[in-house]
Amino acid sequence: MSIDRRKATIFGAAAAVRVLLFTAFPGLPDLLTARVEVSTPVTSFKRLQEGLFLYNHNVSPYDGGVYHQAPILLPLFSLLPSSAEYPAFTYLLYILVDLLSANALMKIAESGEAGSSKLYTSPRKDKKWSSYAIAAAFLFNPFTIATCVGRPTSVFTTCAIILAISKAVIGSSYASMFALSIASYLSMYPILLFPPLALLCYDRRPKSPQPTSIYTSVLQNILAVGGFIPFLLYMSSLITGSWEFLESTYGVQLLLPDLTPNVGLWWYFFIEMFDSFRSFFLGVFWIHLSSYVFGLTIRVRRQPLIVLTVLLGIFAIFKPYPSISDTSLFIALLPLYRHVFPLMRYSFLASSTILYATLLGPAFYYLWIYAGSGNANFFYAITLVWSLGLSLLVADILFAVLRDELEVERPEMKGKEIRQI
Amino acid sequence: MAPSLPQFSAARMRSYIFRLPLFTRCIIFVIVLLWALGMQSVWDVQAWGALVPNEIGLASMYRTNTFPLVHVGFFHALMNVLALTPLLERFEAEYGTLTTLALFLGPLSTIPALLYTFIERGILGMNTTVLGASIWVFTLLAMEAVKTYKTNPNFLLGTTQIPTWITPLVMVLFVSFLIPNTSFLGHICGLAFGYGWGLGYLKFLAPPEWALRWIEGKLNLLGRLPHYVSVDQKTYGRFGVLPTTNPSSDSITTTSLLRRDPRLLKVPPYLSFLCIVIGVAWLLLLPLDDYSRGTYISENALLPGQVHTYFAGSDQNVFRGYKHEVDALGERSNVEVNDKLEELFKASGLKVARQKYEYKSAGETYEGENIYAILHAPRGDATEAIVLVGAWINVDGVLNRSGVALVLTLARYFKRWSLWSKDIIFLVTADSRAGPQAWVDAYHDTHQSPAIESLPVKSGALQGAVVIDYPFDHRFESLHIVYDGINGQLPNLDLLNTVVAIASGQMGIGASLQQMWQHTDSYQDRLKTMLRGMLNQGLGHASGPHSSFIPYHVDAITLQPYGEGWQDEMAMGRVIESTFRSLNNLLEHLHQSFFFYLLMQANRFVSIGTYLPSAMLVACNFTIMAIFLWVKSGSPLPTKTTVGSTAQSDEKAPPLAVIQEADAKAIVPEETLAVRERELFLPLAVVAGSQFLGVLPLYLFNHTSAPMFPAIFTLFTAFNTITPPLLSHLLTTTFHPTAQQYSLIKSFSLLLLGLFLSSLATLNFSLAFLVGLFSAPLTYMQPLPNRPIIAGILALLLTALAPTTVLFAGAQYWGLGIGEVLKEAAFGWDVWGMNTQVVVWCVWWPAWVIGMVSLWGRPREEVES
Repeated sequence: MSIDRRKATIFGAAAAVRVLLFTAFPGLPDLLTARVEVSTPVTSFKRLQEGLFLYNHNVSPYDGGVYHQAPILLPLFSLLPSSAEYPAFTYLLYILVDLLSANALMKIAESGEAGSSKLYTSPRKDKKWSSYAIAAAFLFNPFTIATCVGRPTSVFTTCAIILAISKAVIGSSYASMFALSIASYLSMYPILLFPPLALLCYDRRPKSPQPTSIYTSVLQNILAVGGFIPFLLYMSSLITGSWEFLESTYGVQLLLPDLTPNVGLWWYFFIEMFDSFRSFFLGVFWIHLSSYVFGLTIRVRRQPLIVLTVLLGIFAIFKPYPSISDTSLFIALLPLYRHVFPLMRYSFLASSTILYATLLGPAFYYLWIYAGSGNANFFYAITLVWSLGLSLLVADILFAVLRDELEVERPEMKGKEIRQI
Repeated sequence: MAPSLPQFSAARMRSYIFRLPLFTRCIIFVIVLLWALGMQSVWDVQAWGALVPNEIGLASMYRTNTFPLVHVGFFHALMNVLALTPLLERFEAEYGTLTTLALFLGPLSTIPALLYTFIERGILGMNTTVLGASIWVFTLLAMEAVKTYKTNPNFLLGTTQIPTWITPLVMVLFVSFLIPNTSFLGHICGLAFGYGWGLGYLKFLAPPEWALRWIEGKLNLLGRLPHYVSVDQKTYGRFGVLPTTNPSSDSITTTSLLRRDPRLLKVPPYLSFLCIVIGVAWLLLLPLDDYSRGTYISENALLPGQVHTYFAGSDQNVFRGYKHEVDALGERSNVEVNDKLEELFKASGLKVARQKYEYKSAGETYEGENIYAILHAPRGDATEAIVLVGAWINVDGVLNRSGVALVLTLARYFKRWSLWSKDIIFLVTADSRAGPQAWVDAYHDTHQSPAIESLPVKSGALQGAVVIDYPFDHRFESLHIVYDGINGQLPNLDLLNTVVAIASGQMGIGASLQQMWQHTDSYQDRLKTMLRGMLNQGLGHASGPHSSFIPYHVDAITLQPYGEGWQDEMAMGRVIESTFRSLNNLLEHLHQSFFFYLLMQANRFVSIGTYLPSAMLVACNFTIMAIFLWVKSGSPLPTKTTVGSTAQSDEKAPPLAVIQEADAKAIVPEETLAVRERELFLPLAVVAGSQFLGVLPLYLFNHTSAPMFPAIFTLFTAFNTITPPLLSHLLTTTFHPTAQQYSLIKSFSLLLLGLFLSSLATLNFSLAFLVGLFSAPLTYMQPLPNRPIIAGILALLLTALAPTTVLFAGAQYWGLGIGEVLKEAAFGWDVWGMNTQVVVWCVWWPAWVIGMVSLWGRPREEVES
């Protein structure tokens, strides 16, 4: 196989940009690691260092109450030379993970699943960007670059999710389920992607002489995930020597004990909450987050990939500890739907809102934390704007896809204004 | 027909209001009129018109007719009008204006009123006054409900069937539960009448139709009165004319009417211009009494001027002694000076430490040694400290002879007191620019060692800093207070207020700001002070040794005595003593008062809420224009003029012609609604490229050595002049951008500019405002290929407002060489962490380049494919 020169150029340039940022601005990685927009309590690289230190000194990494990440990261990072002394290895690992994600993203783009799935073919499907453009959009997205330089562990989750989708579109359902299990093991919330992913696997299954029923297929997938995750958990308990990691990792995601500010909506709400209502609203917030899954899966049954995309957007807004890493994952999948962009109505509004929030967020955080002349409400107001911009984008892409479907069903409605009721 | 929820549409709303029938209009008018009458105090309309059960007699029977028209207040009237209008309009449209008139002025208000009076007075024996048209609302609702009941008897809620006629009853209950002061009984009476009418028992009350028709025919009401609804339903139809508008065409045009109105697309340029004008006018209004406020102390713990000061008498001799020592040291080297100072501080019984520093900027080295002494608080635990600074050389490069002597005297004097609860640090820096920065950086461990040494001795968190800048040895007249920090940050207003209160209130020394040596409290002087302050903050440089403290959230000011007067150095010392006593009182870090303010006099200020809108408006103008250009770039090419006219015409004739052609029906809306595909790649690339280009001057001007600056500046100015036409030419020849792409380039560039400026306005208001003002003309730059003369004039104007020109003009105005200004800027960048350059070269300059490029642009002719 000859080397794909365009791909090599893009990947090389992306790696070069990151290497340049790492080497030319030695203070930048630590600066970004400390930013609340990049690092959350459950993904922070700084906290990983703390956990690693405890782990290497044979203390339970979860003892300090600082480390909330999956145990399997510990042996992985202790294999690498210490990031304080030889940061280059860590940098290379993160660059590699980004490139891996981009590679998987290219596979998804090449499959053409976005334009024509098994049950639905968009009349606009020919208007699309090449997989190179999509990979470039992901690799040169400032959010992705900032995430890579800030080194949160969420990049592994991102990579696993994209890999899961890329395996699903070629129909290798076990590989996909394995990747999903890893993603869920690392961050828990990706398990909610199971229903659309299972449908995607079923839709794209390789042709076999005897037809498989959808129930059999989904059941197989459930069994696969049900096998992989307990396996990973068992491995983790062997690594750390006890099951206490469950409480410190998934418990933290579920119960939100750490209220460090982030770009999401939960922290401020739960700061203000009276303790007696806390568990009730935790339930409400989690139910709200997961309630989208089945509704969307059923409504857009014919295009499971858009369900995955929209869900990732929703998670980037409503999950307990979101960061710009989640946003970059959502934005990475958006260009696959280039063909419905002309149907979007608020793209300018949404993108300018997001831009504004991107600039004002750090400014207000500075006023609050450093200058002392603002307060928490400044930053929270901006996270609201940020979430508003993202939700506009999510709603708009969903609208565009539904509209695209409608025009196939009812050609006479083409170009007419539509009311949503 | 499938039920659909009504959607709000401004166009439909407008047309609905224009079609309201006559009687409904009259009733609304009367209600509004009576409400307006009710506002005067001569005649109590409510007492006159209300339905008071006990006062109903034959003579006051008019009340039964007037009470629905009179309301208690604005909201009462508004709510009732809103509720009544649609219902009354329906009723009138069904029965005709005359019938409605007869009914509403007669039985429809009288009978429920009498019923109410009977029950309230006769049965319940009470006397509750009722007012307002809500009784009609419920009567009409009940009629509607009965009507609905006949066609659609039940609705389902779960599995239960609920008769539809109940709804008004439920609403009455809701209203009486949720809205205070509503009459349940009154509403029920209204309902009773409504049900009676709806079921047909009360139809006899309506005037006979033949009579009305006779009146109508005789008076030719239909012809004379506008919006009149005829009694006769058959001959002419309700409104006398056949409906002309086709409902299907209506639904297409109305929703997009506002968005597509070509008139609306003309508004944004004017709107953005208006934003600039209002923004500037707003700023000019601020010095007026109505917009600015007098300062006040927010933090009660400060208690300024409440203590007696004892710094006098024999301390004057001590001061003279120290001044002789300082004079003797005048020309010595930094280390020798510090050796002597260390000796003096130690003699006062203080712990002394020194710190060497060395900065490199623009090829020059700035080095020196700071010395400081710590007075440990007798009543504190060394967790907090206040700093008294005297730079050996002041901002103007003069020996700070009385200032340092005063610091030494005060150190000795403060040591004698046992009342300090915060540590006091006496700091003598080698100069006024690099020294304080080195010391503060090292105090907070953010310094670059080994060029800057770490501090050997430290105390607690710094609560405040006061700098004495007193270079002469004669008596002075007033105090000049310098308060601007680096990057336009300011100390808490309470600190300034404290000093002003102590100086003017306790000591009788005047205080002035921003080198306004004469301040007559006139509008001009206030404006001048404010503008000078804004300029200082906009430049973002350090205006004194105190400036370096402010970024660390340490409130600091510099005190400079000036003028020839009768205040001696002891008065100055007492001001400092009293200020320190106030700071010593603080229980927590200064936080009560404002951090964002503009001062126009020592005791007059405007706070951020009042002044921020002006910068935001200026920044807004760019955003408005960006959105406008985006929308415009997506609108279809102006090939057919009919498109615009279909949208306008909901009263005129054209729509019939266009829409009745059966096939055209589908085509016309498609064209009006279609958004042209935008070609985004080139504009994005151009704007991103110009943003990155900004790194070039930023790097250039911060990393060359000082002697090269004039030459580099000249080169860069030449580059700056040639680049835009060259770039534009390159763009035209290689990519042939369309007009759409040009407007997108401009749109993105303005969007970014607006974005940056509005974010900046929250951090450094003055800089955002100044940059916004200088780049305001960029809003109106567009390719003018056919008008070379205008383009040339505009290019000249833009060149006059280029960052380089402004920089040069500024330097000329203050009589500085351009090399000096750039050296100062590079020093600010390297030492103070000043980021004005970033704003100039990475925000303002790229936007300027894009403006210039698009001015020279030659859009390709667009052909509709």
